[in-house]
Amino acid sequence: MNRIFIFALAAALFSSCSNDDDTQIVTPATSGDMAITLDARVGSEDFALDKDFVMGTQTLNFKKLRYWVSNMILVDTKGTEYKVPDSYYLMEEVGDLDLSNTISSKLTYPANKRETISLKNVPAGEYKTIKFSIGVDSKYNDNLSLKAGELTIANGMSNLSWMWHSSYLFTSVGGTVKNGSTSKAFTTETGLNTNYKTVSIDLPAPINSSTSKGVVLNLDVTKIFDGIDVMTNPAINAMTAPLMSTVSTNYATKAIIFGSEAK
Amino acid sequence: MKQIAFLAAALWLTSCSKNEIEPEPETYTFQVPKHFPQPVFDTHNAMSWQGIELGRKLFYDMRLSANNKVSCASCHDPKLAFTDGVQFSEAGVSGTALHRHSPALFNLAWANNGLFWDGGSTNLESQVFGPLTAHDEMAQNLYELIDELNAEADYVLRFQNTFSEPVSSQNVAKALAQFQRSLVSASSKYDRYRLNSPGGSLTTDELAGMALVRQKCQSCHAGELFTDQGYHNNGIDSDFSNAEHEGLYMGRYRISYDLADVGKFKTPSLRNVALTAPYMHDGRFNSIEDVLTHYSEGVKESATLDPHLPPGGLKLTDQQKKQISAFLHTLTDIDFINNVNHQKP
Repeated sequence: MNRIFIFALAAALFSSCSNDDDTQIVTPATSGDMAITLDARVGSEDFALDKDFVMGTQTLNFKKLRYWVSNMILVDTKGTEYKVPDSYYLMEEVGDLDLSNTISSKLTYPANKRETISLKNVPAGEYKTIKFSIGVDSKYNDNLSLKAGELTIANGMSNLSWMWHSSYLFTSVGGTVKNGSTSKAFTTETGLNTNYKTVSIDLPAPINSSTSKGVVLNLDVTKIFDGIDVMTNPAINAMTAPLMSTVSTNYATKAIIFGSEAK
Repeated sequence: MKQIAFLAAALWLTSCSKNEIEPEPETYTFQVPKHFPQPVFDTHNAMSWQGIELGRKLFYDMRLSANNKVSCASCHDPKLAFTDGVQFSEAGVSGTALHRHSPALFNLAWANNGLFWDGGSTNLESQVFGPLTAHDEMAQNLYELIDELNAEADYVLRFQNTFSEPVSSQNVAKALAQFQRSLVSASSKYDRYRLNSPGGSLTTDELAGMALVRQKCQSCHAGELFTDQGYHNNGIDSDFSNAEHEGLYMGRYRISYDLADVGKFKTPSLRNVALTAPYMHDGRFNSIEDVLTHYSEGVKESATLDPHLPPGGLKLTDQQKKQISAFLHTLTDIDFINNVNHQKP
């Protein structure tokens, strides 16, 4: 009698909580962890801060590279999509960032390098395509009080001029640009809902989420500036809408390509 | 048998999400004044009494600023319909004068077409981060703010009771938005007239002024809210090409990048207008009389001038100006500015 009662009770309990997010219905025995790395590069060289890189007639020296990756989706060989939950990641390579007079009078954001997204409990499968977006989708971009993943404006991925749009910076690259004896500071920023773009990377061969460690994608910083003269346009932001749109398209369509399977 | 029940209860508690066991915050039923439209907003921020009260406490708390000397109320005084009476505030942390005039705060539940004078912010939940972090306003480091609020047990408890979550900058924004949406102004002498309530009779001049406002002003200052929540060039300048301060003087253009929006600024409500001088986005007019003189004789032509305004002005007679002014004073809501629920707790 007691046993039946407990069984009935357990059934009742399970059914009462069954309205959870469907992404949580996974089989623990076969799901696995995967790492998606976005390896920043400058052409064939590894990206680094405070180092001169020759790009055409100009020499760029970077102080920061930051961008949001959001809404990652893994597509398996049958076309089934696994939407990674809470999928908002700040990718960055920055030295100590002085954020004074941006979102606060005095604020230092500590140096950080983050190139890898760790995915937990990926459902078992053979995955052939990785999709994600650069920036923050309009639902969250238009409401800074909504929480998801790593989203926050406290880290400086917004700033005073952007606050008049009350939204996130999608990407931010900065440093100095030199051409001959001329040298200038530059900041290239993107944002606004129209510039929210999706990247889709087809893998050369499907990878098995249970056995593979993941994927390395290459982000070529030179491609971010494709068609952009940094020396002539040292400040790209919301006030230079067409240039910002070009940079956003570059991120989504030119800068990121498959690198290798993670080892 | 008792043990089973206990076990079941324990299972129940661990198996379901938290908010099923915590007391729900008291639901707040938003009272829509009889003659107002239904407000439409969806910001994933359900109002509760606890949320409004928490927002009120935050609104008046100077710890929300870098030097702990500036609160939201420093520029938004309830006695002046939540304005500050000056052209450009110097009340911010830096002491530097701002470039735009502090807007009034009321009937914001209906303000669903952008906030700020150029509408750059989609909702109150996002807008709050502007003044909170701008270095000439509250200049607050958001990490520091969370530490400061966590140091007070009452705040920790209130955030938990309201949001079932610890203190966070996002929940600070939500609570402030809830408080601001609770600020409804709809009990002026005009409203009593409109609803045939006691004390609602208007004088002959006030009635004549009302007819003039309906005829000449309500294409923008529309309906019972006395604003269309839209953006218009009302002819205060003929040239908006100054691109300084990231396009600050260009109006809504700096948000939309649409040339048709050059020189357009948000329509403020005419409600409580007798309390909210000086006027315009840059507080350039000191009195209602100055404003009426502008609309009567000073309207400047430019490509985006509102079609309802003839270049040169509406040519009002002195009597018409007096009548309009008389009517505008009937929009002052004494109950609103004295409402105990809006004051410093």
